[in-house]
Amino acid sequence: MADRISIAQARIGRTPAILKAYGLGSCIAVSLYDPDAGIGALGHMLLPCRPKQNPLSSENKYVDAGIFQMVDELVRAGANRERLVAKITGGANMFETSYQTLINSIGARNAKSARETLAELGIPLLAEEIGGNRGRSVEFDLSTGTMIVCSSHEYGQVSL
Amino acid sequence: MPFRDLSNIQLDVLKEVSNIGMGHATTALSQMIGQTVHLRVPHVTITEISEVPEQLGGAEKLMVGITLQILGDARGSIMLLFPKESAHRLLCSLLVQQGKTLAMNELAISALKEVGNILASAYLSALGKLLNKTLIPSVPLLAYDMAGSLVDNVLIELSQSSDFALMVETDFSGGSDQEHAIRGHFFLLPDPATLDIFLSAAGEPHG
Repeated sequence: MADRISIAQARIGRTPAILKAYGLGSCIAVSLYDPDAGIGALGHMLLPCRPKQNPLSSENKYVDAGIFQMVDELVRAGANRERLVAKITGGANMFETSYQTLINSIGARNAKSARETLAELGIPLLAEEIGGNRGRSVEFDLSTGTMIVCSSHEYGQVSL
Repeated sequence: MPFRDLSNIQLDVLKEVSNIGMGHATTALSQMIGQTVHLRVPHVTITEISEVPEQLGGAEKLMVGITLQILGDARGSIMLLFPKESAHRLLCSLLVQQGKTLAMNELAISALKEVGNILASAYLSALGKLLNKTLIPSVPLLAYDMAGSLVDNVLIELSQSSDFALMVETDFSGGSDQEHAIRGHFFLLPDPATLDIFLSAAGEPHG
């Protein structure tokens, strides 16, 4: 299905589409939205930063390169960069942390990279639903810019 | 060596190597649950990392996942997935008091991790003998959640060196009754850097 975004993928959508990403563990989903144009993108990323020595590796695996790429594509599709706003979710720590500290866990590092990349781009981060140890699924509604985040364990859902 | 360059013969070697390991693992499982365990012929898939959750049955499918790292002469991961009904039936075979549905309390978690440990150890021990190498499982980690979120950890490790995952999957089922069978999926995900160790079983030229 065109609106389902799997690991290391990102897609642009226009209102009234809904973009979805399921089964987020330590991965991060980043949404970017231009409310006036009704255009946005959802990216599903795996690793915090693209290494300098491997510039040819696919961008959407990496939070930093993936966000830059989404912004470029959104602008080319007619979005106004100055109006873009972001929301992020995911970054959980799925398995116990017996030999990793929470701060160093990949989920937390993905979230940190997202915040830093968005700050570098000057894109306001409006909301985040990050961390914990539950998997999440997200639906990003292009007509409103709302991100609905739910978990598999009846923890209810959160609207960002 | 990149996964995509593997020949059919090399893929067959991986299947056979894994089959031998699974034979030992399922013998161990049979002894634990007191029932015969059947193996399906393993299959090898090489897919883009983004396709892996679908290969596992769907990113949202609720599963008990046990992951272990392979340590020693070769590196990679092992992942055991049990759909929740199978995890429950497995626990009923192993433990005396179990409710009507799966309750992931400390005892259940501990028992399931132990199953993972025993299966992975049997598997790696058989592989190690075959390849004349030392292969040891790490401490098992367990989570009960959507398949997509379970596989993240494994894929993150892998994606640092590859855009593709090679998975050797074996389905197994135990129990005399088809309807109440305990089904599981066993995945071997070798690290591309040490793949040649697994391939050495056939004395295949590689590199």
